[in-house]
Amino acid sequence: MTSHFFLLGERISQERLTWIEEALKFYFLKLYPENLLHHTKPTEAVFTFLITNDALYSLNEEDTLPIWEIILSLPSVKIVLDKQELDLRGISVERLKMKNPEQVIDHNSMSLNGQTSFWKDVMKIARQTDEPFPSTIGYLHLESPYMHRSGQNVTQCLAAAIEVRASVELYAYLDGVHLSHTDQNPAECQNVGKALEDMSERAEKRGLQCLMLACARCSAARGYSTWDDGKEVVVSTCTIKPFRIRNLKVIIDRFLCNHIILGGNIASIRQKKEGSASQYVTVEKSSSPPVTILITKAPYGTEYAFGALSFAVACAYQGVQTRIIFIEDGVYALTGNHHLGEESQYFNLQEVIDAVAESENLHIYAYQPSLHRRRITKNKHITGVLDIGKTELAQLLFQPLRGSQAGHQRLLFF
Amino acid sequence: MKEEPLTIPDLSDLTCTNLMIRLKIMLKKSSPGSAIEFIIRRDQKETIEVPFSRTGYKVTIHKIDNNRYRANLEKKDDGKMH
Repeated sequence: MTSHFFLLGERISQERLTWIEEALKFYFLKLYPENLLHHTKPTEAVFTFLITNDALYSLNEEDTLPIWEIILSLPSVKIVLDKQELDLRGISVERLKMKNPEQVIDHNSMSLNGQTSFWKDVMKIARQTDEPFPSTIGYLHLESPYMHRSGQNVTQCLAAAIEVRASVELYAYLDGVHLSHTDQNPAECQNVGKALEDMSERAEKRGLQCLMLACARCSAARGYSTWDDGKEVVVSTCTIKPFRIRNLKVIIDRFLCNHIILGGNIASIRQKKEGSASQYVTVEKSSSPPVTILITKAPYGTEYAFGALSFAVACAYQGVQTRIIFIEDGVYALTGNHHLGEESQYFNLQEVIDAVAESENLHIYAYQPSLHRRRITKNKHITGVLDIGKTELAQLLFQPLRGSQAGHQRLLFF
Repeated sequence: MKEEPLTIPDLSDLTCTNLMIRLKIMLKKSSPGSAIEFIIRRDQKETIEVPFSRTGYKVTIHKIDNNRYRANLEKKDDGKMH
């Protein structure tokens, strides 16, 4: 049975694959060396990588292919590829497959419509990792449809969930709220809005729940919130019927539940309840899956870094054990002295980090190898952010939180 | 010379999460022993009342208008913000 899985759709850099590889090595060599002695069957992978969209290029690129080969040399690692997206891009994985025929899966399961579907395989993996057997699949979406192919992934994923009789929940955040716009009419690709409306009806007919929530802050910024009663109910004249615009805390309420939440770039790390303690964690017992948010993008250029911080603060405020790790380009948030005019409505991210660093349920880390790689150092005044290296990152990812009653940890890439 | 009245920041447009963040930044910047004042909406009241009260702050809120409240946060002597 798969213990942990990564679902990756965004382009995978050498840097990202390297820290993943190093974390996996730590897992197998230091944390669970018994896996090296007792090879489980290939079908019973400890780690499964579900790869779609532009992440597929990493299987063929000069700087990432050798890292995939190292990862596949580790025991019980499997890669499941989105065949449709692979073919669309003309990517060949023959070299990798020839060396690791049982670990590289490039044929997908058949769905009810008679076509193969990567998302059917995603469902199989996702529904294995939770306990009790989950009846709900969530999806956190951050990107606008049409500009990003990931918009179609949302509909494919949720359709696959309904096919296996799971209730579905869609959480639209940042540009993801554009999924909710009424009267979408694309000429060259699937109408995502229509597909979501159809899905809502299909779920209802099957007696399944279908919840679609759009973040109120993100929706207001983008012009969707046309009436706000001041009591957390927002009505919009430009959203499709199934969507509800709600305060972020209503979305985070759903994260208090134990179901699997998928997304464009996420991971689910299974953890033993009441496992051994990591020195980087707190001791509060909680049945909500802990959330680790990886801030991977530079601040200010996009809303990702602030959106991630805001999301993390909301999680922590709701009682979810939350960790933020600044990694890859995300470490630019920690370097230099950021200045913003006193009158500015926008946030200086360093001020935000400094202000929230001691919040209850929230721990913030900076991945040193990302700083070193960019030849930058952390601003010495940011004292609430703990420096971590490769070992500590792996510990954070794979050692269970002390006292946690949750079956898995959620890893979200922003 | 006539002293200009201080403007109380109106934070009523902020979402609950961003209100928390903004207040924490304001508290970090304020001098020890001083209080901060701001305007909020009705639904923002509970966002600040409980968490700040239990983490060492005296929270005072007065209604000033329909759905507008004037809030005051003051650090107690032994208060520690988490």
